[in-house]
Amino acid sequence: MHDSLINHHAFLTILCMGLVTYLTRISGYLLLRNKNYPRLIRVLEILPGCVMISLVAPIFVTGKLSDFIAAILTILTAMRFSFLVTLIVGIGSAGILRHFLPMVLH
Amino acid sequence: MSPPSSVAHQKLKHHVHHECLRAFKTAIPLIISFIPFGMMLGAQAKIKDMSWLELVLMCGINFAGGSEFVAIGLWQQTPPLLLIVCMTLLVNCRHILMGVTMIPICRRQPVRKMLLSFFLLCDETWALSLQDSYRRMEEGYREPFSYPHYITIAVSFYITWIITALLGIIIGPMLGDLTQYGFDMAFPAVFIVLLRGMWNGWRRGIPWIGSLFVACAVHLLIPGQWYVIAGAITGLLIVLCLPPSFFEVDHA
Repeated sequence: MHDSLINHHAFLTILCMGLVTYLTRISGYLLLRNKNYPRLIRVLEILPGCVMISLVAPIFVTGKLSDFIAAILTILTAMRFSFLVTLIVGIGSAGILRHFLPMVLH
Repeated sequence: MSPPSSVAHQKLKHHVHHECLRAFKTAIPLIISFIPFGMMLGAQAKIKDMSWLELVLMCGINFAGGSEFVAIGLWQQTPPLLLIVCMTLLVNCRHILMGVTMIPICRRQPVRKMLLSFFLLCDETWALSLQDSYRRMEEGYREPFSYPHYITIAVSFYITWIITALLGIIIGPMLGDLTQYGFDMAFPAVFIVLLRGMWNGWRRGIPWIGSLFVACAVHLLIPGQWYVIAGAITGLLIVLCLPPSFFEVDHA
C-alpha cells in the first residue's frame, strides 16, 4: 500500500473528520435558529469578540519578549491604521524583533 | 426575455460583480495570512509521509486549519481514526458558537442555502462576514447578510488553503521555518484589526478582557486548544452575570 496515494483507512479518517467538522458548523445554527430569547440577542452581540480575542490570546503568552512587544505594536497600529498597514507592522515587527531580541521571558 | 426584466437582470449582475470585487479586496490581507499557515501544514504533512492526495482531500473535505494541524500531528501509516475524529470535534467546537452568532444576520436567508454555505465557514470567513453584516445593518440595509460577499471570501480562502498546503508539501522543506520571519503574526494581526472594528466602548469590552485573561491562562496551563473554549465561555458567563442594562450603548 505504500506506493498508492491513499488507502481506505486514511480516506475514511479524512471523511469522518470532514463530517464532524461540518456538523459543528451547522449545529449551532440549526438548534437555535428559531429561538428568540432576549438574553440570547445580548449574548450574540458580545460573544463574537470573546471568541476572536480568545483565538489570538496565545500570541501574548508565547514566553518570548519579542512576540509580546510585536503584539502590543500590532494593537497600537490597529487603533489608527488600516488592515494592510497593521499586517505589515505585525509581520515586520515580529520578524525583526525575533531576530534581534531572542530573549525568553520564562 | 422582456426588456425590463433584462435590465433588472443586468442590474443584479452588476450588483453581484460589485459585491464580489468588494469582498475580494477585504479578503486580501487574510489571504496573505493563510499562506504561511498553509505552507506550514504542507511541510508537516511531508514530514509525516502523507501523500499529496491525502493532504488535498483533508484540506478540501475538512477545511478547518486547526484540526488539520492536530490530525497531521497524530498521523501514521494507519491513522488512529477515533482519536483524530475526537480531536477534530474538540478543536472545532468553536464553530458551534460561530454558527449561533450568524443567526441574527441571516434570518431572512433560506435555510437550505445557509446549510450549504456553512460548509465553507471558517474563523476568518466568519469574522469578515460578521463585520460586513454589522456595517450593513448600521447603514440601514434590510438584509444584513450579503451572499455574494460571503461566497467570494469563502471560496477564495478555500482555494488559497489548498494551493498553499500543496506548495508546502512540495517546497516547504526547502524554505525552513517561516515563523522566523514573523509570518505567523498575520493571523493575530488580522483578528486585532477586526476586534478594533467591533469595539463598542469599555462596558462591552469587559467580557472580552475576561476572555483574554482566561484564554491566556488556560493556554499556559493546559495543552491543546482548550483556551478558545475556556475564553469564550468566560466571556459568555460575564455577559450572563451582569444585568442587561450594563451593556446598553448610546447610538447617539
